[in-house]
Amino acid sequence: MPRLRTVVAVAGVTGAAGAVVRRALRRRVQGSPLWPLPALEEPVSGRPRSRVLRLAVTARDTVADGVVLLRLEGRELPRWEPGAHLDVVLPSGAVRQYSLCGDPADTGAYTIAVRLVDGGRGGSRELHEQVLEGAELEVRGPRNRFPLVAAPGYVFVAGGIGVTPILPMLRSLPEGTPWRLLYGGRSRASMPFLDEVERLGGSGRVTVAAEDESGLPDLDALLADLPAGTAVYCCGPEGLMAAVAERAPGVRLERFAPGAAAGGDGAFEVELRRSGRTLTVEAGQSVLAAVRAELPDTVYSCAQGFCGTCQQRVLEGEVDHRDELLTDGERGDSMLICVSRARGDRIVLDM
Amino acid sequence: MSHKQAVVPQGDDAERVPLAARKVSFSWEGTPLHWVPGDPFSTHTINVLHLLLPAGERWFVHVYRQVLPHIRDERLRADVIGFIGQEAMHSQAHDEVLPHLREQGLDPTPYTAQVDWLFEKLLGDRTLPPGRARHWWLMERVAIIAAIEHYTAFLGNWVLNADELDRRGADPTMLDLLRWHGAEEVEHRSVAFELFLHVDGGYRRRVRTWATAFGALLFLWQRGTRFFMANDPTLVDARASFKEFYLRGRRGTLPATGEIVKSVPRYLSRAYHPSQEGSTAQALAYLASSPAARAADQAAGGGKGAA
Repeated sequence: MPRLRTVVAVAGVTGAAGAVVRRALRRRVQGSPLWPLPALEEPVSGRPRSRVLRLAVTARDTVADGVVLLRLEGRELPRWEPGAHLDVVLPSGAVRQYSLCGDPADTGAYTIAVRLVDGGRGGSRELHEQVLEGAELEVRGPRNRFPLVAAPGYVFVAGGIGVTPILPMLRSLPEGTPWRLLYGGRSRASMPFLDEVERLGGSGRVTVAAEDESGLPDLDALLADLPAGTAVYCCGPEGLMAAVAERAPGVRLERFAPGAAAGGDGAFEVELRRSGRTLTVEAGQSVLAAVRAELPDTVYSCAQGFCGTCQQRVLEGEVDHRDELLTDGERGDSMLICVSRARGDRIVLDM
Repeated sequence: MSHKQAVVPQGDDAERVPLAARKVSFSWEGTPLHWVPGDPFSTHTINVLHLLLPAGERWFVHVYRQVLPHIRDERLRADVIGFIGQEAMHSQAHDEVLPHLREQGLDPTPYTAQVDWLFEKLLGDRTLPPGRARHWWLMERVAIIAAIEHYTAFLGNWVLNADELDRRGADPTMLDLLRWHGAEEVEHRSVAFELFLHVDGGYRRRVRTWATAFGALLFLWQRGTRFFMANDPTLVDARASFKEFYLRGRRGTLPATGEIVKSVPRYLSRAYHPSQEGSTAQALAYLASSPAARAADQAAGGGKGAA
């Protein structure tokens, strides 16, 4: 019966081939769950941007007069780059920003340093008095609006607690990069991380200017005749930052202080470049409301800064971002006009 | 344009409510890996939602922002805007489950990176000349979304009525996420289809995009369940099979196979309108009692209003 034999042989061969194909397919799918689809090189999903982290305060040390260092532990924390800060939700519900000053490679904990400010808005007092070891803190972030850019050389100016975002930058600079740091403060005892900064600087790179010893720092000497391309970073009191900005117009600043910068709901001007209009956003009014009065077709949805529908490109002006959604990259050139406002008195939108 | 359709099915006005996003947030610390106790297969089959929705619903928003200028009906426009806000929130809420899975030893990234590619690249804005080609691609995507929304409404309606999950002690936070989301899907179930009818409505396109969407969903879902079962650190040699799915459908911890089959001719019927599926009243009743939605309402009521 040659026919039966042929059928059996063909069935055997197809069965074996089927098993081989199945096994090969299974192996492929194991390595790449949606084979044959490729993967996106920089995946977007699974990295929620506004995720609230509840972290345990596992260490609380006084590192200088009036400065406590808090270690906040969690698991698999999002990574960060030097210059980044956290939004910390205080027990009262108020939100304050603190620069990360620990090790960026440590995904098990974040470290922040907080100076007690007399007569401030009360955030630092709350942290100093109510947040003890063992407490739980809610944080969001990290975010970075003070990133370290590649440059042939660096000059850093830190005033007091303003050293916190700069410290991880110093640690991360490649060996041999020319940099200088001017670190000013009221007195040596009130200046955190002084030892480490001096150790990092070795000989001659760090100038410490304690007001009670040597008076105010000499910015002119530091900032005169900088080699082209030198990146200047400054974080500290408003007066110091203004003085540096006067002498080094391209300086990168990190502001945490309230005032005109954050929290204010004052009026400012918005230019809509593409439609050639300029309008005033009144105090307490949102940019969205002002723009919709002129351009009623402007899209938006939640009006609370979480859906992202009203995102618009920013051409000029500094933005006080108040949403929880945009990434740092998106914040560089766009804003959610339903909640965010101008930091200065004018912004230009591409609409 | 809708003239291609002999009769335009109309929604029931009683089923129509103004749409607005609810700013919910969930805390996952207390949710176990197998949140349907003792039933990893049901858990992981439903978990596939967390793999698909962050990228998928972000893509909905992306497409709908482009279609807004084509809308000539104010009421529909308002609905689409509300829809966009709700979808954006869904995408974020499911995205926040993924780090929780990772913390429990089940890293979803190999799968989600491929889903990201599917929505960002394959279904993204292609480099097409402005004009007909670009418009065609936009309409095709609008129709695909309408087909997918048929199934999200189906699943939303299912989860609102899946009492078996409660009986088996499923994690209340996860159930609240699924039912808040499901209820909003039922609440806005007509928007995507009405938008499709408004801007195009061609029946051939409806059938074609249904086939694409249904096929893609089956492919993604079975691979997703297999992925979770194979990588679950607590399971040894676990397999996903259709039989398991069928049995759980009969038991009520997953949608019944028969119901899924029956939903197909409904969408392809020329008289289809989403308002015939599910109940807005039930969805709103759930949203009124959902812990997450209530917290969002209170926060919105107590906070400062914007715009």
